[in-house]
Amino acid sequence: MDLSILLILLQDGIVNGAVYALVALCLVLVFAVTRIILIPQGEFVSFAALTYAVLDTGVAPASLYLLCGLGAAAFLRSCWTRRGSELLWLALETLILPAIVTLITIWLAPLHLGVAVQAILAIAITAPLAPYLYRLAYQPLAEASVLVLLIASVGAHLALGGIGLLVFGPEGSRGPAFTSAIFHLGDQTISGQSLWIVALTAASLTGLYLFFEFTLLGAALRATAVNRLGARLVGIRTSQSGLIAFTLAGLLGALSGVLIAPLTTIYYDGGFLIGLKGFVAAIIGALASTPIAVVAALGVGVVESFSSFWASAFKEVIVFTLIIPVLLWRSLRHQTTEDEE
Amino acid sequence: MIRFWPVLVIIAAFGLPWLPGLPLFWVTLGNEIGIAAIVATGLVILTGIGGMTSFAQASFMGFGAYATAILSTRYGVSPWLGLPAALLASGIAALAIGAITLRLRAHYLALGTLAWSVSLYYLFGTLDLVGRNDGISSIPPLQLAGVKFVDVRQSFTLIALALLASLWASRNLLDSRWGRAIRALRGGSVAAASFGVNIAAARMLAFVYAAVLAGLAGWLFAHLQRAVNPTPFGLNASIEYLLMTVIGGAAQLPGALLGAGLVVIVNDRLQDWLPLLLGHAGNFEVIVFGLLLVLVLQFAPSGLWPLIARRTAATRHTIGTIALPKRATPAPGPALEVSGLRKRFGGLVAVADLTFSLSAREIIGLIGPNGAGKSTSFNLLTGVTKPDAGTVRLAGRDVTGLSAPAMARLGVARSFQHVKLAASMSVIENVVLGAHLRGNASPIAGVFRQDRAEEAALFGEAMRQLERVGLAELADRPATSLALGQQRIVEIARALCLDPSLLLLDEPAAGLRHAEKQALAELLRKLAAEGMAILLVEHDMEFVMNLAARLVVMDFGTRIAEGPPAEVRRNPAVIEAYLGSAA
Amino acid sequence: MPLSRILGVLTVSALALTGAANAEPIRIGLTLSATGPAASLGIPQRNSVALMPKQMSGQDVEYIVLDDASDASKAVANARKLIDENKVDVLIGSSTTPAALAMIDVAAEKHVPMIALAASAAIITPMDDRKHWAFKSPQNDSLMAEAIAAHMEKAGVKSVAFIGFNDAYGDGWLAEFTPAAARHHVTITTTEKYARPDTSVTGQVLKMIASKPEAVLVAGAGTPAALPQKTLRERGFTGVIYQTHGVANNDFLRVGGKDVEGTILPSGPILVAAQLPDSNPIKAVALDYITRYDAANGAGSVNNFGAHAYDAMLMIQGAVPAALAAGKPGTPEFRAGLRAGLEGLHNVTLDHGVTTMSPTDHNGFDERARVMVTVKDGHWALLP
Repeated sequence: MDLSILLILLQDGIVNGAVYALVALCLVLVFAVTRIILIPQGEFVSFAALTYAVLDTGVAPASLYLLCGLGAAAFLRSCWTRRGSELLWLALETLILPAIVTLITIWLAPLHLGVAVQAILAIAITAPLAPYLYRLAYQPLAEASVLVLLIASVGAHLALGGIGLLVFGPEGSRGPAFTSAIFHLGDQTISGQSLWIVALTAASLTGLYLFFEFTLLGAALRATAVNRLGARLVGIRTSQSGLIAFTLAGLLGALSGVLIAPLTTIYYDGGFLIGLKGFVAAIIGALASTPIAVVAALGVGVVESFSSFWASAFKEVIVFTLIIPVLLWRSLRHQTTEDEE
Repeated sequence: MIRFWPVLVIIAAFGLPWLPGLPLFWVTLGNEIGIAAIVATGLVILTGIGGMTSFAQASFMGFGAYATAILSTRYGVSPWLGLPAALLASGIAALAIGAITLRLRAHYLALGTLAWSVSLYYLFGTLDLVGRNDGISSIPPLQLAGVKFVDVRQSFTLIALALLASLWASRNLLDSRWGRAIRALRGGSVAAASFGVNIAAARMLAFVYAAVLAGLAGWLFAHLQRAVNPTPFGLNASIEYLLMTVIGGAAQLPGALLGAGLVVIVNDRLQDWLPLLLGHAGNFEVIVFGLLLVLVLQFAPSGLWPLIARRTAATRHTIGTIALPKRATPAPGPALEVSGLRKRFGGLVAVADLTFSLSAREIIGLIGPNGAGKSTSFNLLTGVTKPDAGTVRLAGRDVTGLSAPAMARLGVARSFQHVKLAASMSVIENVVLGAHLRGNASPIAGVFRQDRAEEAALFGEAMRQLERVGLAELADRPATSLALGQQRIVEIARALCLDPSLLLLDEPAAGLRHAEKQALAELLRKLAAEGMAILLVEHDMEFVMNLAARLVVMDFGTRIAEGPPAEVRRNPAVIEAYLGSAA
Repeated sequence: MPLSRILGVLTVSALALTGAANAEPIRIGLTLSATGPAASLGIPQRNSVALMPKQMSGQDVEYIVLDDASDASKAVANARKLIDENKVDVLIGSSTTPAALAMIDVAAEKHVPMIALAASAAIITPMDDRKHWAFKSPQNDSLMAEAIAAHMEKAGVKSVAFIGFNDAYGDGWLAEFTPAAARHHVTITTTEKYARPDTSVTGQVLKMIASKPEAVLVAGAGTPAALPQKTLRERGFTGVIYQTHGVANNDFLRVGGKDVEGTILPSGPILVAAQLPDSNPIKAVALDYITRYDAANGAGSVNNFGAHAYDAMLMIQGAVPAALAAGKPGTPEFRAGLRAGLEGLHNVTLDHGVTTMSPTDHNGFDERARVMVTVKDGHWALLP
């Protein structure tokens, strides 16, 4: 192996790792705030990617049905616990918003207005799915144990996977690149799309940091993450925090989908494997520490890239066994003295 | 009638599939349910009761299935000999994986097993030894007296018996010394450790036991399906077993069968009904199944079994009359000597240079305002937390830094400020946990019911201690259904079951009525007279001043006064500490 | 679910039960991978069922379709359900090799013929008591591997790098292609694996390029097979890229775009049916299927996998007269007759070739069942 191969692999690993990082970030965020291990995060990624690819053909994507349907279901599920002005907001969020997005998409889709518009539409169609899912599946379970929430996640993942197959079909798609530019650096070539991915990931990370540090909403989320009961006592509703966390997860998931769509073929169920690798990173970050999770995600991408060069048959084995020593090291360092749960 | 149920079940196992008019496919479904229920039974013990979530049960099933498949196809070994091989393979795999993964706690452990599951799935698909992705086919069927088990009805009998054996063994295990240790893991491992339970061993036991049951299921699967490949042992299969367990009711053994039955039958019915409703155009089964799963959890977060059987009848225990051997009465002299004890958490010094001593037959009180470091001192003295500096001597022997189980073995017993009783156990089962070190039956003896004499003796001891504290008539009530004050007394009975020479009680009188307090004081005096050394943390000043010969007063982690109650009461530093912090 | 629909279901079920008293139809049970990793195979197969005839030799035919989610144990459970509950006379399925292999024992135990829709020759060879009841409609992968190796030799390719799915499909191809390459004096420089939903194969591609092959063979099915090819072109590989017949659908062309121009692959003749000479009997059969499939599922949606299911039906159709002579549908005699009839098929034209079965060959295809195809201007083109 020479230096140029090494650099290509490194670059490939970092680009993939950046997408894993976005996923890992969402997992950490959602877990910290709601104790939900969000298995369906992968679905948001693949749905956004496939929606983006369909939009490029000038057709309104079938995922609009999903958006409106899930919105309506969330409305019905939530409406008998709300009343008055709250109901109005709920309708705005779960009924009016999908309707507007649908109308705009039907209007704009055939016009071929370019990748930026398509990307924004794809995110607008996919991101709201996350808060709807929260209202539908998780909010009634807010006080359940981590295990029950996990199984609920499995249920949501199964249902969304089935819907994905119905909506997008079994075959994959690729989306158009944001830019066809290719940069040369010595004998290395770097595609503009890779730079977009790394840059947008970095921007999202910075944005999140600012959100958590300097906004009231961010502070509320952090408070919920640290102490759910305490946060509730000072007037922060856990369901509200959950909704915000899911909205962020939906946005970031959709963004990662749109980012990765031009680089590779995405399938209706492809997000699950991306999600699992995001999990590996999130676990290394111990589902609590964002910076470690991001570094770990990049590490997973790089390890994956190198092991696919050296021993491609064992790539998954290597990637998924690698976390065990890390976990072990972490658990040895943090001796638990108090009881669990 | 009730007593003969195993006979009835065995008759059903043989007869049921041959009932005239019974659709053959129902038997096939029954087989599927049975195999899944065996795996789910293991998960009830591991996840529902032991609190460890595993995503790798299908992988352990794979170890069992592949072991017997390889032996019987490549080496012509009888499928019956494949059974021990399968159990051994899955057990050893669990030991190895457990050794490096079980240190992880809570959701890290869940995700750690998830990683194993993905990794092992791809490993099965890559290794020539196990036939890669195509797997191993032409596995011989089981054979008994010349009859080959190829018909699903014959298989049904075998699976039903295996399931019955699994449930029987699991019930026995849970009702044994080690079973109680596993039951105490969830939400109470500190308490269990303080009574000498080797927590790591109990966790490993649950992990290996669940894996061995999965191996049994794998063995059945291999010889009944007669072809194995990686897909039935992948992550999706593991997830399915876990969701069966949770849907059924993860904390009860019958929940395993209920969950497996529901999931298999619902999946099968959906396959028939949905096309009639929605047409053949798409596959809606998985969507509807996912939605149903979420809905069921929203209506029954603890699973469905608790809805069916609201109250599980308390297990009847034989109360033996043979007394357990007792520790030699401690010699008079210093029982506990603490000097220079120190502990900091980050920037906060919780205990600083604590020094005091306690003799056999003596009761002393450790008092101080909230946050003075009393409970931390208790944790330091009982091995729950390791001190940063200082020494602890027990009857002259240096025991600084010993673990909680080691301290228990030396005769140190305690109660907790926040009551730590296992919610799933009755009062007497909680109490008998205190006598864990006074028995020595192995888990295997427990599974095969070879521990009954010892169990009777342990329960006899627990009953004696309950009588002593006056709660004998509540022995079979669920522990957490008692009033908080009574739960504290249960903790004392549990501590007494250890036959301690040093007893540390954290606020034992909190929540007691006046008469109860007097009875407790009487009991503690009597225990001291018998030779025990007793250290009390107590906020009820009247109670502690009447009882203790000396008081040690702490504030901000240090001892600020020591002496007889009357003297301490007048100490200006003490008054300052209490008024200062109380004001 | 509205109550009226539930009642409707119950009535339909009840009718189905009472209807059984009348003349028994021929029942064909299919277990297909309509969901899960092999859904791109199973869905067109399921769609093909709607095109199948409702009568054969004057007898009513009933089709029962179940999904096995690409899982072997589910396929076995489905096979038992179809036989025990639906009383089918013949099984079609499943879509993947591991699932089909696992079903063989059920078919043999119950004496019900089955026609697998998976590629591996291991399903029907070596012939023994168990495989007595097993047939398969897709070409053996050995036939296809041989075609690729022969083409390589003819084109003067001396060395090839292999990259395949990390599953039964990729494994099966590697196992068949390795001896075929040796027979045709082609060296395999390196063998790489990737997982179907992988987002990057850069590592494998660099490794392959570093081994300096003249050509590359990608063994994948459907759109995922385009990823290595795109990455190879991206990394400047200019040699010929061979694919397997698993990619033969229009989605592959859509996703592959200009990077798959010039790809060479073996395929059943149906892929280029319109380009076949009129003298080829397969042309008419295949065009009929294509027209009807596209009419039902949208233009350009047809693919090879669906045709395998249709071919299985054509095989059964050919065997039904012999079976009816042996007994009534629903009887063991009929099933045995059907099995014998399948084994006796002689020069029967299918979408994918012309089959002539024998007691030792339960696939029956010859050279006519494969053509070499290339991609030209975004379309499949028959190579001479």
